[in-house]
Amino acid sequence: MTLLTSETEVFSSAQTAGRCVVMFLAKRQLEPGETDAAAADGVLGVLKQLAGEGWHLSIRKMFDAEASPNAFVLDTGFAHDVDIAGVFEAPSLAAALRGTVRLEQAGWARLFTTEWLLGPREFAVVAGIGEPIDRSWGFLALWEWNDAWSAASPDERRNYDAECDVAFKGDLGFNINIAGRHRLDWAHGWHHLGIWEAASPEIIDVAISGHEHASDFMFTTSRHIIGRVTQLDAVIR
Amino acid sequence: MNDASIWIHYARPRPHWYKLSADEKRAQAAAWQAIAAQSSEAGAETLGRYHIRGQHDFQTVEIWRFPSPEAAFDHWSRLTAAHYNEWYAFSNNIGLPM
Repeated sequence: MTLLTSETEVFSSAQTAGRCVVMFLAKRQLEPGETDAAAADGVLGVLKQLAGEGWHLSIRKMFDAEASPNAFVLDTGFAHDVDIAGVFEAPSLAAALRGTVRLEQAGWARLFTTEWLLGPREFAVVAGIGEPIDRSWGFLALWEWNDAWSAASPDERRNYDAECDVAFKGDLGFNINIAGRHRLDWAHGWHHLGIWEAASPEIIDVAISGHEHASDFMFTTSRHIIGRVTQLDAVIR
Repeated sequence: MNDASIWIHYARPRPHWYKLSADEKRAQAAAWQAIAAQSSEAGAETLGRYHIRGQHDFQTVEIWRFPSPEAAFDHWSRLTAAHYNEWYAFSNNIGLPM
């Protein structure tokens, strides 16, 4: 696959070619206190099928093949206009697109109004540096390469990538796991997705300040989403 | 399952596009048109390009039908390899038949 931008010291091309992220930004459809057991059963049934077909249903699973096969999402309502956000990973683009339709038809559409963002994995996962820790917070970064990046010379872009790499090394130094990078531009207005696992919102905030210091946002326009990792069945039951 | 996919592409020139000469613009556009012709030969169909600037954030919309989502991705991937995304801002959609 042609990369939208080049590899760096931190990021290398994924060996898992063809795998495709299925990101969702979802608002609850049900009233507070209302449940829909049939819709929840339908969704959890399809998710079990998808896990059997090689899907990863959590950020954790992208790093650890032995992690739980169950679906985990980010509880985002405290900070965003969506109640939950999250990322799954499908074995292929076609499987990803079909999977969103299967989920919607099985009851997801009754539970949530959803924006789905799909795209292939470009870069491999990179583990944070340090002791094993509990990372109960997720961070999703969407960005587009803006007009300034588009007008920049190859040298300016290389220097920019090198400066951003310093910030990414800082993230790893905060023991943040970075799930590589996925490419969304073929089917959305956002161009790329970065997925992090981190110990706390405070750590994420400090890390993002490092990206500001590295002038990351000179060439990108971005949206950042933060949430606590939560089992999906606890959200929809 | 039928994987034939609709692909909708919104676009508008980025600011530095307007600084190119007419010849430079024609050369870029010819390269991108060749990529579109390749996609058509490989089984894609297009309804063409329509002007929407009067009621949208973008200037044009193109609607394509590809044999699969992968074929749509491949079409876009060849356009970005030819730097199309660096001259045009864009937003894309993919869809399966109901």
